[in-house]
Amino acid sequence: MVDFYPHTATSQQKKVCSMCFRVNSLETNYCYHCDSKVLVAHKRALQKTLAWLTTSIILYIPANFYPIMNTLYLGDRTESTIFGGVLTLWSHGSYPIAIIIFVASVMVPVVKIMALATLCYFAMDSKRVDYGNHHKILRMTELVGRWSMVDIYVVTVLVALIQMGNIMTINPGEASIAFAAMVVTTMIAAMSFDPKLIWQKIDSQSNGDPSVK
Amino acid sequence: MLKDTPIACHECDLILKLPLMTRDTKAACPRCGFVFTRYFVQAKSKLLAFSLSALIFFALSFYFPFLNFSAQGSVKSVTLLQSLMSLGSDTYLILVVFMLITTVIVPLLMLIGMIYVLISTYTQINLPQVKPILRGIFHLKPWNMTEIFLLGILVSMVKIQSLAQVQFGFSFYAFTLYVVSMALTRLYLDRYQCWNWIKDKQKVSLVAHG
Repeated sequence: MVDFYPHTATSQQKKVCSMCFRVNSLETNYCYHCDSKVLVAHKRALQKTLAWLTTSIILYIPANFYPIMNTLYLGDRTESTIFGGVLTLWSHGSYPIAIIIFVASVMVPVVKIMALATLCYFAMDSKRVDYGNHHKILRMTELVGRWSMVDIYVVTVLVALIQMGNIMTINPGEASIAFAAMVVTTMIAAMSFDPKLIWQKIDSQSNGDPSVK
Repeated sequence: MLKDTPIACHECDLILKLPLMTRDTKAACPRCGFVFTRYFVQAKSKLLAFSLSALIFFALSFYFPFLNFSAQGSVKSVTLLQSLMSLGSDTYLILVVFMLITTVIVPLLMLIGMIYVLISTYTQINLPQVKPILRGIFHLKPWNMTEIFLLGILVSMVKIQSLAQVQFGFSFYAFTLYVVSMALTRLYLDRYQCWNWIKDKQKVSLVAHG
């Protein structure tokens, strides 16, 4: 079905536009078709990914250890962390919701950060070549990563809705900002990572023959 | 049958030519599996229909009560705007700003931009700034989190079940339909196809200018 050009854009002294996939010559700065800036995959870009990734790892700590929500019910103040909220939901018997929150706010960020870190490692180390499926993990986490934000929305909706005078008030905790910032930084880190860096090394080992994986 | 323009894989850099697509097929990179495009029949009309309906449902979801509460004998109904405003007075203003950007501002900009681009491609009139707007739409796409917001609303409803009785107002259903239309708009929003429409338009204008 699909006709191969036997080479990659890099081996043909070309570069690919990340917006419309058109092939541009190396000298052009802006894509001939969509006018967006066309960049060549370069190891320097990894610095950006690593910086965003480090920020999100640092933010992960306050996001999980500080309370995400403070409830004031008849003068009683309870603070709940993300994981505490999952446990409460589980003990109340709302298993599907507990699973959704656990997957979205506990599991997905960890998997995403680990997948990105592994990819950065493979892209940096000149000796090791990644023949694995890490790019598939990244693609999946990029799709799922946004759903981590659900916890933040739950908190903001609860805060907005529950203002029943002196009986009960709900306030967002310190972790809410840290958590939101963590999700945003992991998203930016994932977007700034260029998978071509990994494929370039595979290409150089297989002499540019794309049929060899 | 292959399209003339060679393209390269966004992920693994492989140069390819995509075949002419037929109904309900997708084109993926043979090496890394990156999906270039999914072909939907009449994607243009579907996009226009769903982005217009999303705009209408979005407007509707602001006018009517969103939720009706009854707790400890008192009944209260809130509109969407009221609940957002009550957040605004809080110290956690940045959360509110973030929520407004991801659920109101970004989707609105995307929808209006999409309709503008579609009008331009439909009528074959060269409206100004179509390319920057289309680029902007794709840059904004990942920050559109309306469907996540809906899940957040549903989860928080379950959480307060024990405290108050909540009934969904008319606005809630309008908002749900808005989220569904927005999700469908996002589904039909295909980079490869959208940029091909731009090319078609240029071809026509070239012919027209001799």
